[in-house]
Amino acid sequence: MRIPILKLHNYLLISIQTELDDNTAIQFQEDLLNKIHKSGSSGVVIDLTSVEIIDSFIAKVLGDVVTMADLMGAKVVLTGIQPAVAMTLIDLGIHLQNVPTALDLEQGLNKLHQELGE
Amino acid sequence: MDQKFKQLVLDNSDQIVEMWLKEVESLKTENYTSSISDDLFESTNREFVNVIFTSVKDHGSTKVVEEFSEKIINLGWPLSYITDGLQAFRKVTIDYLLKNSDQVDSNYFSEVLESVDRWVGPLIRQLVNEYSGSWEHIVSLQRVALQELSAPLIPVMDRITIMPLIGTIDTERAKLIMENLLEGVITHNAEVVLIDITGVPVVDTMVAHHIIQAAEAVRLIGATCILVGIRPEIAQTIVNLGIDLGKFPTKSSLRKGFTSALEITNRKVIDVNGKSNTNDGNSDGIESLIDAMKQGE
Repeated sequence: MRIPILKLHNYLLISIQTELDDNTAIQFQEDLLNKIHKSGSSGVVIDLTSVEIIDSFIAKVLGDVVTMADLMGAKVVLTGIQPAVAMTLIDLGIHLQNVPTALDLEQGLNKLHQELGE
Repeated sequence: MDQKFKQLVLDNSDQIVEMWLKEVESLKTENYTSSISDDLFESTNREFVNVIFTSVKDHGSTKVVEEFSEKIINLGWPLSYITDGLQAFRKVTIDYLLKNSDQVDSNYFSEVLESVDRWVGPLIRQLVNEYSGSWEHIVSLQRVALQELSAPLIPVMDRITIMPLIGTIDTERAKLIMENLLEGVITHNAEVVLIDITGVPVVDTMVAHHIIQAAEAVRLIGATCILVGIRPEIAQTIVNLGIDLGKFPTKSSLRKGFTSALEITNRKVIDVNGKSNTNDGNSDGIESLIDAMKQGE
């Protein structure tokens, strides 16, 4: 199953609403990068509100996506990470050091606005 | 044989009680009961010895023992009073039985010991159980109370919450702190969380590690975490231990932390009279004092 990527003006919105397995994650990574390339978006919000489990592989993919998108000139913000997920990630030693985060979609978009200086 | 001893002891209970009281009296100074008034000590001793004899007679009547131990526990008397008393009873009874027998051989001797042990043993066990049961109960109550106090989260204003931490942090508490912190950030929709460690006496590597983890987790869910209330000695230990707190902001006092929290959320405190805000509150006070004095003249 593919994860839908929505375009909103200059931004891309992704709400992940299924449990991510490895293939979906890889597929998503490719799709997103292609979309960024095609649309020339400058900001991306990935919303993880309905994601209950993130394992180390998914975390790595998400971290990679952020770096890759950065290389292509698009800022990525992760939003809505659940407390339980955050705790698991920290316990696993995954700190997602360079990834900007926000509480919800609204604040994520605000953050993008600020970072892109618009 | 057991029945015979029992009859002997019960028939001569007065003498044994006298001996026992003397014995217990001599122990008074040793087992922390010396602060208790003589009258109370005397009457409790009488009651204790009655309980012992009832227990011997009825072969472990638990109800009397329970009532007695409850009373002693409520009075706050030490456990040593009970154990010493029972040891004394054992000693006195054995002495008495041996002294009042015509012929004493090793067989008889061991039978005396065995009988007395059979009376005293269950009594000691039950009383000690009652005591430790009450202690465990108290400990569990206190643990619950401590847990309720351990990780409060205060939403002081829109988008800003504070978690004041007081007391030592261990792994269990750190886990609770992290859970409360993250849940609270979500429920209060907080953008900035201030963790106040003014009341944490010692920050070692473990505590620092837990705090860093909590701060990281807060960042992951999309809020900012500011560590406030770092006292000079805490700052020294943190640096001496080589802990890197550089990744998230720290402030010396809750006030400064709150100011920077306001900055992060794009707000500031403004005096309603239109004067520039805060900080010069002192001079304001002096001015108003001078004004008041002038009016007085």
